[in-house]
Amino acid sequence: MFGSVNNYLSGVLRAAEDDDGDNLATFLSLRDIHVQNHNLYIAQPEKLVERMLKRTSMDEAVSAHLKVLYNLAQEPPNYMDAYTQQAACCSAVVKLLQQLRDENWCLPLMYRVCLDLRYLAQACEKHCRGFTPGHILEKAADCMMACFRVCAADGRASEEDTKRQGMMNLVNQLFKIYFRINKLHLCKPLIRAIENCSLKDTFPLPEQITYKYFVGRRAMFDSNYRQAVDDLAYAFSHCPERFTSNKRLILIYLVPVKMLLGYLPRKSLLQRYDLLLFHDLALALKAGNVNKFDEIVREQELVLIRSGIYLLVEKLKFIVYRNLFKKVFVIRQTHQLDMDDFLTALRFVGVTDISLDETHCIVANLIYEGKIKGYMSHVHNKLVVSKQNPFPPLIST
Amino acid sequence: MDHIVGTCDLFCPTDEAKLRIREKLLHFYELKNGVKNQPGILVKEFTRSAADVKTPKAKDLRTEASITRTVEYLLKDILMDTRKPYHVAYDFIFDRLRAVRREIVIQMYDSANTICILEPIISFLAYSRYRLSEEPIDKFDPKICDQHLQECLNGVLYCYDDLDETKKKESFTLRQLERRCFIESLYQIFHLGSIEPLARGLTLPEHVRQDAGFRLCFDISLAYQQGNLYRVLMGFPRLPHIIGALAATKLQFIRRRLLQIFTHAYHNKQLSVPVTYLLRLLLFESPDRLIKHCTHYNLSVTSDRKAVHFIKTDFNISADTLQAGKEPFVETKLAKIYLPEIVLLKALKN
Repeated sequence: MFGSVNNYLSGVLRAAEDDDGDNLATFLSLRDIHVQNHNLYIAQPEKLVERMLKRTSMDEAVSAHLKVLYNLAQEPPNYMDAYTQQAACCSAVVKLLQQLRDENWCLPLMYRVCLDLRYLAQACEKHCRGFTPGHILEKAADCMMACFRVCAADGRASEEDTKRQGMMNLVNQLFKIYFRINKLHLCKPLIRAIENCSLKDTFPLPEQITYKYFVGRRAMFDSNYRQAVDDLAYAFSHCPERFTSNKRLILIYLVPVKMLLGYLPRKSLLQRYDLLLFHDLALALKAGNVNKFDEIVREQELVLIRSGIYLLVEKLKFIVYRNLFKKVFVIRQTHQLDMDDFLTALRFVGVTDISLDETHCIVANLIYEGKIKGYMSHVHNKLVVSKQNPFPPLIST
Repeated sequence: MDHIVGTCDLFCPTDEAKLRIREKLLHFYELKNGVKNQPGILVKEFTRSAADVKTPKAKDLRTEASITRTVEYLLKDILMDTRKPYHVAYDFIFDRLRAVRREIVIQMYDSANTICILEPIISFLAYSRYRLSEEPIDKFDPKICDQHLQECLNGVLYCYDDLDETKKKESFTLRQLERRCFIESLYQIFHLGSIEPLARGLTLPEHVRQDAGFRLCFDISLAYQQGNLYRVLMGFPRLPHIIGALAATKLQFIRRRLLQIFTHAYHNKQLSVPVTYLLRLLLFESPDRLIKHCTHYNLSVTSDRKAVHFIKTDFNISADTLQAGKEPFVETKLAKIYLPEIVLLKALKN
């Protein structure tokens, strides 16, 4: 069922001569069926490939690709050498991109090669030893940056033909690496490049969704919560229903950020995406049950840490305090509230290690952040709250 | 790539020693009994790598044992030398340790060896950052100190991660594990409330995460991140010696912030807040320093000096944060320790 090397190479030749980027991408893919063709496992394919493909400038990339296949076919697979060859393939593609002025049909090829480069880097991280974690991925990111620079610099071609159309796809791939190796600061120049790009709104929807997902997460780490909600909500609402696991991933960040701004999630929504953990948190938050809240965080610590939202959830703590204090206000029905009542409330929900001094400081902080309107009198040990809207909705603070 | 291994068994390679004695380039601490032009113990000084400088030869680089002895000599004999003010000793030690750091890079030390050298350098920098915090800028630059502390920390954390990958926990000695917890704790306090160190803290190996000292530092940093300054301030006096000292360098900023929060929270023209309460919260030992703070940020104190008026509009936002200084809760702890022992991380529990 598989042809000879010559068959494969003439296939490549035809695709290259037709400027058929999609087909070329398939020929250089590591996920295509041709990778199972034993005839293609050649240790030194250069001469052969050069003879067939010299005039298409595809020869370097194809040689490197065949060497990747050869290395992956070894027993056990030689991931390191395969990665090195894939990186060579990527540089060959960069050269190709530079040669093809005012043409962008080869973008699918670039996407494919970069994607496989990332997969191989991940495989190396998993299977190989002898380097610090994240090192290979970082190297892979450098290769992709070379592609990115060529694309971003292609300003003279018309909008249909410009390689700038490939920017967002690459940026998303780079995001995936930077988030994995925890180097978020490297995202900044990429975001700037996209935001300043005139094609910003014309990128394909799937790419926009991925982009917004990562930009939203980054805004979240920068404590820029409103921006994070905007981006993540865009990603969530545009992501089609059938991608349940992707929607779930978005929700993992969207829900806690929204909670921070005072929105509680619906139970049915959480149920649909198997995220009931947030329902428990929301209940404790709503009830102002500080102890229960801490308990859930402690129990779910590992889950929260792994999904990278532990610190964000810890930030909700002051909102739990606010809700508890609001309840005291509702019960007392007066504008002069005894500070001891707050302390009693805290002890009532099971907080043992708290003093009156700390209660003062917590309330002070809530006032400073605008979450309570009023002032305290230390001498009278009272909180005097505003007659109008003493606990303004969180969204307005 | 083959790397060079040093063969020099002295603190200072012979060629450099000859040159500096001939050219009379000796530091005070390198003179015999402080007498001019009488060479005593020389220590290799820091030089930058530059294009016109040849790659150092093996005889210009020190052996592992010699480097260890150099660090111990600097952080014991020179550190405790009281003939000159501390900032002079600091400058000398700083420069000579920098030479050590450069040398371990040239000789491509592996992670385990790098850790042994960097750990004492880190605690020295952290200690000096506190000890010299009152000095004017021409005698001590806190920015440069922070920058080098950060560099050393980056280096050592990288090595810890590297060893986590390759070695099993059981193959470390108890002392090594203890030293690591100490440095990881110091890192948390150095970056009080920052996301990245906190995120690192969450994914550290269990033995570090469960360490009581580390937990305390992590919780303080987390409290800072949440905005619970009360927990931060109450945690500080519980920190061990050098980490407490490093924390103290952040104290002025936290005090300023809490005072600013209070101008909103206790905002009232008639009312005032008692000094005793503020002393307790802000870790002041006497009203004088508190009142100095209040006046600096333009807050008024009652005539009997027993209470402070907090009014939102009074607070002078453009006033610089007061310079850090000695804090009694740190001083009492430092008085109880033998400094070289701690800086060299020979004994940590106190």
